[in-house]
Amino acid sequence: MAALALQYALNGLATGSLYVLVALGIVILYRTSRILNFAHGDVATFGTFVAFTLITRLGVAPPLAYLVTLGVTGFLGAGFYYFILRRAKEATLLGQIVITLGFALVLNGIVVVLWGADTKVFPSLLSETKVYHLGTIVISQLSLGSLLVGFLLMALLYVLVQSTKVGLAMRAVSQNPLAAQTLGIPTRRVLALSWGVASALGVSAGILLAPVTLLDPFMMLDPFLKGFAAAVLGGMDSPPGAVVGGLALGVVESLFGGFVSVAFKATLAFAIIVLVLTIRPEGLFGREYKKRV
Amino acid sequence: MELRERYEEELALVRGLPAWMGMLAALAALVLFPLFTPRYLVYIATLMAIHTLIALGLNLLTGYTGQISLGHAGFVAIGAYTAGILMARAGVPFPLALLASGFSAAFFGFLLGLPVLRLTGPYLTIATLGFGIAVHQGLTNWEALSGGRMGLFVPKPAVGPWVLTSEASLYYLTIGIAGLLTWIAYNLVRSHIGRAFVAIRESDVAAEVMGVNLTVYKTLAFALSAFYAGIAGALQGHLLGYLEPQMFTLFESIYYFSMIVVGGLGTIPGSILGAILMTVLPQVLSGLREWLPVVYGSIIILIMLVEPWGLYGRWIRIKWWLKTWPL
Amino acid sequence: MGRFLWRVLALAVAGVMLAGPTLTGAQERGITPTEVVLGSSMPLSGPAAYWGAVGKGIDAYVKYVNDQGGIHGRKLRFVLRDDSYLPPRAVANVRELVERAGVFAIVGLIGTANAFAVRDYIVQNRVIWITPTADSSIWAGFRQKRYLFVTYPSYVHEGAILTRYAAEKLGVKNVAVFYQNDLYGQKGLLGVKRAVAALKGAVKLVSAVPYELVVTDLSSHALKLRESGADAVILYATPRHGALIVREMAKIGYRPRLLASFTLTDPIMFTLAGEAWDDVYLTAFFPLPGTDPKVDETLQILFRYDPTLRANPFNSVAGVAFLEPFLEGLRRAGRDLTTDRFISAMETIRNWDGQVIRGVTFGPDRRQGINRIYIVRAEKGRYTKLTDWIEYPVEF
Repeated sequence: MAALALQYALNGLATGSLYVLVALGIVILYRTSRILNFAHGDVATFGTFVAFTLITRLGVAPPLAYLVTLGVTGFLGAGFYYFILRRAKEATLLGQIVITLGFALVLNGIVVVLWGADTKVFPSLLSETKVYHLGTIVISQLSLGSLLVGFLLMALLYVLVQSTKVGLAMRAVSQNPLAAQTLGIPTRRVLALSWGVASALGVSAGILLAPVTLLDPFMMLDPFLKGFAAAVLGGMDSPPGAVVGGLALGVVESLFGGFVSVAFKATLAFAIIVLVLTIRPEGLFGREYKKRV
Repeated sequence: MELRERYEEELALVRGLPAWMGMLAALAALVLFPLFTPRYLVYIATLMAIHTLIALGLNLLTGYTGQISLGHAGFVAIGAYTAGILMARAGVPFPLALLASGFSAAFFGFLLGLPVLRLTGPYLTIATLGFGIAVHQGLTNWEALSGGRMGLFVPKPAVGPWVLTSEASLYYLTIGIAGLLTWIAYNLVRSHIGRAFVAIRESDVAAEVMGVNLTVYKTLAFALSAFYAGIAGALQGHLLGYLEPQMFTLFESIYYFSMIVVGGLGTIPGSILGAILMTVLPQVLSGLREWLPVVYGSIIILIMLVEPWGLYGRWIRIKWWLKTWPL
Repeated sequence: MGRFLWRVLALAVAGVMLAGPTLTGAQERGITPTEVVLGSSMPLSGPAAYWGAVGKGIDAYVKYVNDQGGIHGRKLRFVLRDDSYLPPRAVANVRELVERAGVFAIVGLIGTANAFAVRDYIVQNRVIWITPTADSSIWAGFRQKRYLFVTYPSYVHEGAILTRYAAEKLGVKNVAVFYQNDLYGQKGLLGVKRAVAALKGAVKLVSAVPYELVVTDLSSHALKLRESGADAVILYATPRHGALIVREMAKIGYRPRLLASFTLTDPIMFTLAGEAWDDVYLTAFFPLPGTDPKVDETLQILFRYDPTLRANPFNSVAGVAFLEPFLEGLRRAGRDLTTDRFISAMETIRNWDGQVIRGVTFGPDRRQGINRIYIVRAEKGRYTKLTDWIEYPVEF
């Protein structure tokens, strides 16, 4: 029983680490531009399909293909912000959400038109059938790899935001865009950069996920919703919150699915979040803002 | 500027002969519409009226009170299943079942409103989104109640001795209810309730300081909004004659949400315009096959770029332009 | 309002009421001397777009039939619309197809929800309806079936046949079901339960694990199946989820006997599931590609007319299987085509073999065109036929 619970927890951790990557992207965007990006999942899906074409159709070596994909997707996200979203200056926050929804529809449509709606096998450097045994617990090479790459990306992001000049600018913009602009920080470029970084994070989740869940135009729908939920659980403007929220969500969900009910897994995830939010309306790690009237 | 001499004039929704003529022309067009058009257009018009009801309710919550909801399909589902179950299993007459569907959805709206009182923005989005998913999973898995994925056939509505089987009769029923609830919404938003909603939207702290009871008015907004959705759900069940949980997914909620934003937040004509456009658009485009989402999404982006206040915003600008035209 | 306006209004209403009922034409809907119009509404976008290949297969085959000269001098015109798998849109599409495009017949419609939402409308308007792709057992006991012709198997009977085969031929004692939590999976599960009850203790149903279509993480599902201790798992899933669960089970070292619904005979399974799709027992309701020259020939025709169908051979050839009886009905009805003549012609079809579908029988009181399946085994990218046709009762 204990071993089984541990196995469920480990599975949850592997899934949760991908929720974290999605959640981090959402948090970065929300922190810097206060926008809920509903196209986040579809941008990632689009990028993953680009990687698929590079590797299987054009024969590009996978590591190079991953790098190219990160770049392409980063530019796609930044371009969407710079050329479309930024133009909607008068738009309300809800209006901006609807623009991202429209963008999600367009991207998803393009993926179906270009690549078809059928499921595809996404090649991976790591094997899914090769497994490591820790007593009675099993983890596949692929899951272990994703877990490690996930944590590596989180660390890289931490370094980028906390100890580089660009990161400092990003933090400045997120705290007070007007003051940042006055101080000579190129706000628009910093915002576009945040969109690029967030999109690249999203597509790295997609690339890690695709070998496990197979490549499909709707493969990011569920991870996106869960990542969004994880971001909210942790607190929308807190990257450490996104990490904790994503891992916690993955583990709890897996345990609940294993021991209580598989059918109500998704409901549970959201029930927990509502419960947490009634106690802490800003999420686990979110800052409470004192509003001035 | 016209001069208003009496309080009743101040209260009137329609003022002046041209406005009355326009109003009557619109009403006449609505009444005569099914007589001149093929039945599939009558069906689409009925669907529009149902979407209008949902958009009106959602706009009361999101546009007026500033509370975002991405779980409205849940309320529509609750309304649809309440009416469906009451009529199919218990033989409750239609008018009663319709009211019950509105009130049961409103009750769930009130219930959802309580735990999310302190939530805003993305936190509220996720909480309401979760509500929609919970309703969907509940209906899927509680087969004894809902029929599960086997679905539930809904009998045709009957008002007294008249059974409404034809498209036109369902159309008149829906348009009548939509008209009544639109009128109620107009009066609601300019009453003290509407003013309290707007105050909460602008600043909930300031509203509370001025004596608006947040608990009462926020849950009221949820309940009212859900009432509209519930009534719309019951009507949709009758229009399709069949209910299945898959009709009420997150996609529907997102679709309702885009209706009010594209139409115009915090305006009643905006709700109507948005509902009409977003119902017609996929229908007109459905021959495009897999290109549909690409074109549909582009149109939504374009509308929001050109007119951030939605379709109604554009109409207001046109009106301003006409007023000052010769200048 | 002035008296004048009232008069205008009354006149208008009276005029319309007089003009209204005279709109019905003498000609049959959807038939002209040179053309027969058929239509369908399918998910070509959205999460169920995968199944849209059924419609595209029909589209390609219709083009082929037209290039062969059509039927009795008439070309076929196929109007295909997208409904994104949303019932309100499917209803609007079907109504528009019937009332504006004026179709003679509706082919397909995917999913029970869509089929049930348009059912009454189609019956009332006397539209020929060929094979809605939903479990055929939903029509059992349906009385207004005059215009309906179905060549789709029953998941209930399929589930029962699979269970029986597992118990009697494979010596399975404990069986588990992994199923999609909609009518497709639930009907399959129902069949398994019925067979387990009928076999009186020879086999036990130890676990039934549902999944939702949007879910992609099936690790806890696989663990649950393993913990149930079943020595066989029956799959009612999409190809994607079927592949995911067998891979996930292989990963944790759980290798039960696998049995699956005919929807997983899609050759894509060998690519998606890899070596995990070895030694799997499935059913089929028409000869599978690679086992029958006529079916292979049909596939080549489809690929020629629409190369994108290569990605989705099973669904596109299934589209042909649904369309074929309709074409045969047109041939039998002759040049002088009306709805009633077409129905009489369809009712003469007895044990008829098409390019893809075999052994179709309709009759004055029979609308269930096929009532048999056979069992195949998947092995190293190929299917071998294990049994002869297994019949099940005709229900409608």
